[in-house]
Amino acid sequence: MKKESMFERFLNKKISRKRFVKLCGISAGSLVLNSALFKFAFGQEESSTGRVTKRIKGMHDLVVAKGEDPYIMTVKAVETMGGMRKFVKKNSAVLIKPNIGWDRSPEQAANTNPYVVGALVDMCFKAGAKRVNIFDRTCNDTKRCYENSGIEKIAREKSANVFSPDDWNVIKAKFNYESPMEGWPVYRDALECDTFINVPILKHHSLTGLTISMKNLMGICSGDRGMMHFDIGTKLAHLTDFIKPDLTVIDAYRVLTRNGPSGGNLEDVLDMKTIMVSPDPVLCDSYAANLMDRDPLSISYIEQAVKLNLGNADIAKADILTIKT
Amino acid sequence: MKKLVLIRRFSQTLFLLLFIYILWLTTNTAVFFKIDPLVSIFSFSALTMLVLTFIAGRFFCGWICPLGAIIDICGIKAKSRDFGFRQVKYYILGFIVIFAFLGIQIAWIFDPLVITARFISLNFIPFFTIVLDKLFIFLIKSFNFYTPLYDFYRLLKSSILGVKIYYFQHSFITLSFFIIICGLVSITKRFWCRILCPLGAIYALIAKFSILRRHVDKCMHCMKCNVDCRMSAIKEDSSYRKEECILCMDCIYGCPDRATKFTWPAKKNLQSKFFLISRPTGREICKAKDSISRGDFLFLMASSFLLLGFKSMADGAKKRLIRPPGVTSEREFLNKCIRCGNCMKICPTNGLQPVIFEPSLAGIWTPHLIPEIGYCEYNCNLCGNVCPTGAIPKLNLAQKKEQKLGLAYIDKNICIPWSQNKECIVCEEHCPVPTKAIKTYDEVFEGKKIKKPYVDASLCVGCGICQNKCPTRPLRAIKVQP
Repeated sequence: MKKESMFERFLNKKISRKRFVKLCGISAGSLVLNSALFKFAFGQEESSTGRVTKRIKGMHDLVVAKGEDPYIMTVKAVETMGGMRKFVKKNSAVLIKPNIGWDRSPEQAANTNPYVVGALVDMCFKAGAKRVNIFDRTCNDTKRCYENSGIEKIAREKSANVFSPDDWNVIKAKFNYESPMEGWPVYRDALECDTFINVPILKHHSLTGLTISMKNLMGICSGDRGMMHFDIGTKLAHLTDFIKPDLTVIDAYRVLTRNGPSGGNLEDVLDMKTIMVSPDPVLCDSYAANLMDRDPLSISYIEQAVKLNLGNADIAKADILTIKT
Repeated sequence: MKKLVLIRRFSQTLFLLLFIYILWLTTNTAVFFKIDPLVSIFSFSALTMLVLTFIAGRFFCGWICPLGAIIDICGIKAKSRDFGFRQVKYYILGFIVIFAFLGIQIAWIFDPLVITARFISLNFIPFFTIVLDKLFIFLIKSFNFYTPLYDFYRLLKSSILGVKIYYFQHSFITLSFFIIICGLVSITKRFWCRILCPLGAIYALIAKFSILRRHVDKCMHCMKCNVDCRMSAIKEDSSYRKEECILCMDCIYGCPDRATKFTWPAKKNLQSKFFLISRPTGREICKAKDSISRGDFLFLMASSFLLLGFKSMADGAKKRLIRPPGVTSEREFLNKCIRCGNCMKICPTNGLQPVIFEPSLAGIWTPHLIPEIGYCEYNCNLCGNVCPTGAIPKLNLAQKKEQKLGLAYIDKNICIPWSQNKECIVCEEHCPVPTKAIKTYDEVFEGKKIKKPYVDASLCVGCGICQNKCPTRPLRAIKVQP
């Protein structure tokens, strides 16, 4: 007998009603099973109403350090604030969120100064942190941004975890009030940490005027970030309320004054040699805005944050200490 | 113990893995293309390969060639049949050479290293990474392994796996081309190497005169080697076609008498080989079925001029695609590009994609930029650095930043600030030019200042990041045109 190939066997078989129903049943069943399995594996969705924090107060409302060395300035400023032990508990997980958005060198002042990040990592480990995570959702290619900003190298040397966030590892944001950010995916690592330290760089931004700490929080959002730009003030204020950063350290060592947020021209960079530390993101942003000769309330997200009562934007009422190193 | 066969298998595996490893890193891929005489005849390493072939024969095909290794793996169960047509590979080589003189480069169609490199870069590595990635995600998500497996996964991603999972358009065409080549083993073992491979043809032309030769003592004519030879190089009278032997060493261990040996000729023979050799006449060569005669060669020359039509096809290609940075002349680019896929593999944003028929048939598998998949990274010149033939010129970063790939245009009917008076300017924010090629223009709408973007054509480099990040769907409001 001639050996039939699989194709021939398939052709030669007659289809009866019974066989047809059986085939349909099998294929439908396997489809259902398949989708269920796929959902089980990849489709789990979690949502959260935001981080729970104790709102730790420092010794002052805001500490401003001026000096030459960004590392020493950061250390001194945090010490004056009451020390890192106040904010980081023993065996806790810390997230440091710098701005690593662009494939630029530290001199071009588009990313947070690596020494500021390095100082914070050192202090966190000294205060007894178990692990320090560092990440940002970058605008350019992640690997190149991490490398060229110099942050990856310094943080790895100090044994912090530097990684790129995964879009599948997100938690959906939930709000108690009506919010345009409802259901927005936020990276899990940003939520599941004991201390959230926000380390933005102060720079020019064409849409909002300035990129400061609240704008920096965009880097913990997954999803289509382009859509965030409409009504950006409200969205960023709600995001700040959702995350509630424990400590904000603004790097104004080098400041990009024009053509932000990416920059690239060394002539646009101004050496301000200032670092601000505060547990209140709104106060910190307001002070930084003042530093750039802008009225804080003219910046949409600070205005919205004040409306939500997230912090104090009135610099005259705050306890501000300036130190020189 | 089949010592030599084992060594050969080890060498094949080693070179295949090395090939994959080099392509994976894509840092020094030129190494492999430099030893390829079909791609770079004048490089030192290619000439070394030719000299080594003159000494030992077609060892490259049996011991080094990664495509040969894959074909061997595919053809483990296949039978070896001899049915001629071996001269086809010389015709293919002839066409390639003639076209090269006409200024058209078609070596990329049939070069085995290029075919393998393209398959590995465009099919194998993306497939491997996505399977590994999904496996990790499945394990981590369904069993809640957030530490330490997750840390390991992140370490892998930041080191070898790469942050991005690559995707290439029309990659199934590359895949099917490769599968056809490997599937030809179902006709006979090493079908590709016997009949089609032009690189094999170059080596065969030299191996005809090679020094190392197969020697049989007291053959009992069991015909085992004749049947088993994977290239069917052994004739029935136990002599062999030297140019077809790839030194796989199977006949040494297959021989029941162990009568087969590969030896260097004795000194006397060596002299006779060079000085007293009676060269076969043209007619004799004609009778030998598998080689190519003078008449054949002339026929080939004449007939290939009929194919000049292809040339006009290549000429007809106009610059309608966004080519990689530094490419100025489309014609020159098509001629220099060997379609190895290195640039597409290295492009950090995955924006370089293979062309299929967009410019003309001549442009198949050349890279072009699709900004909606990935933009050209402003601060990056990797594609020029990895190009083995210089089709994409090597530029330093300062030079690369001045290259204009195209020009961005804004469609005001779709653009959010222009059409809906809402704030957006994502394009302006991402524009990498230090002075911003996208400027904004303030317009007051209902008491609110709305910034409306427009493009400064003199500054725009056409990198396409604006198109990539533009939030409007399905059409982008800003588009880069070449």
